Amino acid sequence: MKLIKPVSTLLTVLPSIVYIPVLIEIIKGFHIGGLNIIFTFISSAIKPSFNHEVVKSAWEGLQITIAIALTSWAISMLIGILLGVLSTDLFWKSIPKFSYLGKFLKYLLAIPRSIHEVVWGLLFIQILGLNIWVAIISIVIPYSALTARVISEQLDSFEIQPLIAIRKTGSNIISSFITFLLPKLISVISTYGSYRLECAIRGVTLLGIFGLGGIGTELYLTLKSFEFKEMWTCLWMLWLVIIFLEKFIKFSRSYLLNNISLKNSFLISISIFSLSLSLGMSWLYNLNFEIFTPLNFSFLNLPSFVEIENGFKTLPLLKLIFKTILMTFLASCIAIGTPPLLLVLFPGKFSLKVQNFIWIFFRLIPPPLTTILILLFTNPNISVAALSLGITHMGVMGRLLTDNILKQEKSIYRAIKSNGSSKQSATLYGILAPQSNSYLAYGAYRSDVILKETAIVGAVGGVGLGWQLQESLSSFDWAQVMIITATFSLLTISGEFIFNTSQNYWLKNSTNNFIS
Amino acid sequence: MGLGLGLGLKHTKTAVCILSIFHLFTINGLKAEEILRIGAIPDQNPERLNRLYKVLSSELSEQLNIPVRYKPVTNYAAAVTAFRTGKLDLVWFGGLTGVQARLQTKGAKVLVQRDIDEKFHSVFIANKKSSLQKINKINDLRTLKEKRFTFGSESSTSGRLMPQYFLNKAGVQLKDFKGGAPGFSGSHDTTLMLVQSGSYEAGALNEQVWESNVKRGRVNPSKVFVIWKTPSYYDYHWLAQGNLDKKFKKGFTKELRNVFLNFNEKSPRQKKILDLFGTKKFIMSRNDNYNKIEKIAREIGKIK
Repeated sequence: MKLIKPVSTLLTVLPSIVYIPVLIEIIKGFHIGGLNIIFTFISSAIKPSFNHEVVKSAWEGLQITIAIALTSWAISMLIGILLGVLSTDLFWKSIPKFSYLGKFLKYLLAIPRSIHEVVWGLLFIQILGLNIWVAIISIVIPYSALTARVISEQLDSFEIQPLIAIRKTGSNIISSFITFLLPKLISVISTYGSYRLECAIRGVTLLGIFGLGGIGTELYLTLKSFEFKEMWTCLWMLWLVIIFLEKFIKFSRSYLLNNISLKNSFLISISIFSLSLSLGMSWLYNLNFEIFTPLNFSFLNLPSFVEIENGFKTLPLLKLIFKTILMTFLASCIAIGTPPLLLVLFPGKFSLKVQNFIWIFFRLIPPPLTTILILLFTNPNISVAALSLGITHMGVMGRLLTDNILKQEKSIYRAIKSNGSSKQSATLYGILAPQSNSYLAYGAYRSDVILKETAIVGAVGGVGLGWQLQESLSSFDWAQVMIITATFSLLTISGEFIFNTSQNYWLKNSTNNFIS
Repeated sequence: MGLGLGLGLKHTKTAVCILSIFHLFTINGLKAEEILRIGAIPDQNPERLNRLYKVLSSELSEQLNIPVRYKPVTNYAAAVTAFRTGKLDLVWFGGLTGVQARLQTKGAKVLVQRDIDEKFHSVFIANKKSSLQKINKINDLRTLKEKRFTFGSESSTSGRLMPQYFLNKAGVQLKDFKGGAPGFSGSHDTTLMLVQSGSYEAGALNEQVWESNVKRGRVNPSKVFVIWKTPSYYDYHWLAQGNLDKKFKKGFTKELRNVFLNFNEKSPRQKKILDLFGTKKFIMSRNDNYNKIEKIAREIGKIK
């Protein structure tokens, strides 16, 4: 293992500097008026409601969420893999005449993934009404495009000499492609796929907060009426299910990797997807959803040119964009900076395991809930929104970091520590350093996700594009809705470009790659 | 659940793969039958809501002799769309959302409402530390300028539309609040909690929710108090599709309305429904009652 410059290690901790302005703002507005509510919130955690109705409706919500997640995950993986392969440079190298199609597809896919699943959900609910497919489609659209991107990037990062060699032997396009690509594809799918399933569960929970059903809806309703005991019933159940699911995935993945040959693994992958799909769909059917009834679209009148012009005039776009970017910046720094900071502040194997479990929990609490909780003890401002977004994504970042560290070799740490360094600095250089480049690369990608997700925490003080979208939607003002969605999309696409550049920079200097 | 694949045998895998794909095509669709689909935007917690609508569905089903299904809707815009697309036959709407739904759905008809809904009020509340005083004249709402102020949900009649209307009338615009904009807490209960905690200095909410919180002991009088009660206006109501007579039978809409009007406290089940809705009885209501709400919504921009 080559020695790593400490620069990027320090950079992982550096973003936590934004805690200074954020905390100043939060402490400035701090008051104890909500203390008793916060106390009830915390004490409710150890005595959640076991009321029969509550548990039953939470369980039903959980089933809905998981069934939707399973269905949409399977569909998005299948579509994503197909689109992913179709947008590789590699694929079109074998048919050079049409290579522009690949490029076109690659750029086109930036649009569906630039819009958050909740925004897709809010738009589709207008067209499809109340239908379980709204939730499924809203997950499938961005997730397919995301999967396609990861797959094509991973495939394109491989050497293509073998493919050319296979082609030279005279075999046809399809078969040479399969021989060469399939093994690589499988390894990408098996790691990335399980991560996406988890994302899908989180995504569906969030959709629920915005009224699309499942455990998210239960969570939001219980919080909205300040029934904390009932809320904790939902949260604990969700947490347990996620942990169980993670263990199950981990177990079956290692079982399959050790026992299945490559040729069969393709069949197994297809079976897993189709089984998930049929399991998810029949589950939803059994939960009384009309999943097999044809969809009826009710299209909306497109706004006229004058209406759009008026929309531009009435919306304070520049201000909304500025607030959105500021929020993204603060939230990203909190999300990226906190886990390494905690690692250095509280070193040790036991503490690492505790952090690992805490992160799973943090990851599960949807930002709109955190916002209300934070608001109980401080005045409304942009820091509250940033902090609540930051906390969820801190969970995602922290989990990845601690997971990878738990897997990592301890040799450098031991070497540094035996030199007489403190536990803290040994952690910094021996544990954090080998991770830092890939961690920062992943952080760049997270910032991109956070930018999209600002769409859902705008309600604080009525700021940001997200709040304006809700307001325009509830006024059924399609011109404004169109403008805001397009602005969001443009913002995310340019964000993706910037973050991509920095991600590539960190990856280039990375010793291990944990994005895939 | 089929995930424990027979991994040992080579052909089993192929078979399972094919079977699992085949399984997708074997699940049959739902048989079509005329169901009365009712919906509501929840203002209470889910446990209460589930009880409320389970009882109501079975009562309606029994009296009308048709299957009734309750669909929970948790997003105002979703409820309006569900009604517009005909996915819901009968919806418990707020004043504003009812008008929005009716304008987008030809023939829709306001049926009944609770007795309290024809004289509904919002209350403006303030935190004790805010230096705000009780208000006698509407123009004194100006004291709210430069205060941290929150509404409830964007689409709420009593938590946003009417309070904003009275504020405008007193010469207070949304940008006059501290921070250049009001907050939108998302619900009446949240507004109460955030003003009580002091995060917002003042807010406006549904009077009924305020009072039920007072009764439940969730309001701390040393921290939060009512500064002003708005004049009355029409709010919540049951809105029905215009095609129900065609869908079920002639005179169905009238029959449906009468079922509601005849709910009384003598029948234990009906008493339960009335209690859960927080009323003594349902009364007649008509589309025209909402002309004023429509006008105000247009002024404020919630209806284009």
